[in-house]
Amino acid sequence: MSELFASPFFGVALSVLAFWVGVKIQKKTKLAICNPLLIAAILVICLLLIFRIPYDAYNQGGSLINLFLSPATACLAISIYNKIQLLRKNWLPVVVGCTVGSVVSMGSILLMCRLFALDAAITASLLPKSVTTSIAVGVAEAHGGIPSFTVAAVCITGILGSIAAPFLIRLFRVKNPVAAGLAIGTCSHAVGTSKALEIGETEGAMSGLAMGVSGLITVVFALFLTL
Amino acid sequence: MKILCQIGVIFSICWISEIIESLLPFPFPASVISMVLLLILLLTNVLKLEHIREKADFLLANMAFFFLPALVGVMEYRDALQQYLVPLLVICVVSTLLTFAATALSIRAVLYLMERRKKHV
Repeated sequence: MSELFASPFFGVALSVLAFWVGVKIQKKTKLAICNPLLIAAILVICLLLIFRIPYDAYNQGGSLINLFLSPATACLAISIYNKIQLLRKNWLPVVVGCTVGSVVSMGSILLMCRLFALDAAITASLLPKSVTTSIAVGVAEAHGGIPSFTVAAVCITGILGSIAAPFLIRLFRVKNPVAAGLAIGTCSHAVGTSKALEIGETEGAMSGLAMGVSGLITVVFALFLTL
Repeated sequence: MKILCQIGVIFSICWISEIIESLLPFPFPASVISMVLLLILLLTNVLKLEHIREKADFLLANMAFFFLPALVGVMEYRDALQQYLVPLLVICVVSTLLTFAATALSIRAVLYLMERRKKHV
């Protein structure tokens, strides 16, 4: 029986099905907390646990999906390219906003990890959590973090950011779509960007831009932290 | 065939980036290198948007889906996660809030200063 689940088709099919259910629920309820990714992950985990299917079996297909993360990250270049005029016009706010955001993100994480007396491995896993998974995992691994923890923190942050984004925009009275998009992208990477795209085209583009720029800045700052 | 070529182009860029990553003396994620590489190719007109549009649209539109297996991977770390759940959540909530606020407010400050300078000039 278990060899049936070890087929890559199983993992891919289950993932698509779970994600489809997630998207349907999101569309029906229109609630931010019903994040398709969160629903899909809970569905898959529950199914695997109930039917005692090992994660490794699911991951035969899962790793195929994982393969697309890097190309998808590369394609963020296109959202930057499409908005190159917007970037040229707003380069100062983009650079300043993303730098301040990334520094505050890493600084606050470092400080809180000290407060909670978390060990170096956990700290390294959490440190890059505001940037997109593929970048964050790379940074975490380079600093002795646990990749799976990073992925969890990145996803929690992304979902949190995409849920909180509309409220935060109102709370801080961010009327400028450029500022809103940049803030979403800097604090909640690709998951936030998908939310920003729903809010508006400019927001989405700036969010995509911000996750790219913040990713770069985080990688660079992380280099200094090792020294 | 069109989409096949587009997959070829994008995956080639990703592969070249992995080679560059292994050559660099410091830890710099390959995905970021491929992003920069693709941007340079587009800006220098070596690569036209038409060459990769459909594939890129597919990847960008389904971005969240590609994170699913990685997130499911958390189930392998249930015990460790339970132990650190509270600090993990607190850190995520607080830092997300702070990061959003810091980014939004610093951009507002920059926009305000730029506006004021424009008026003075």
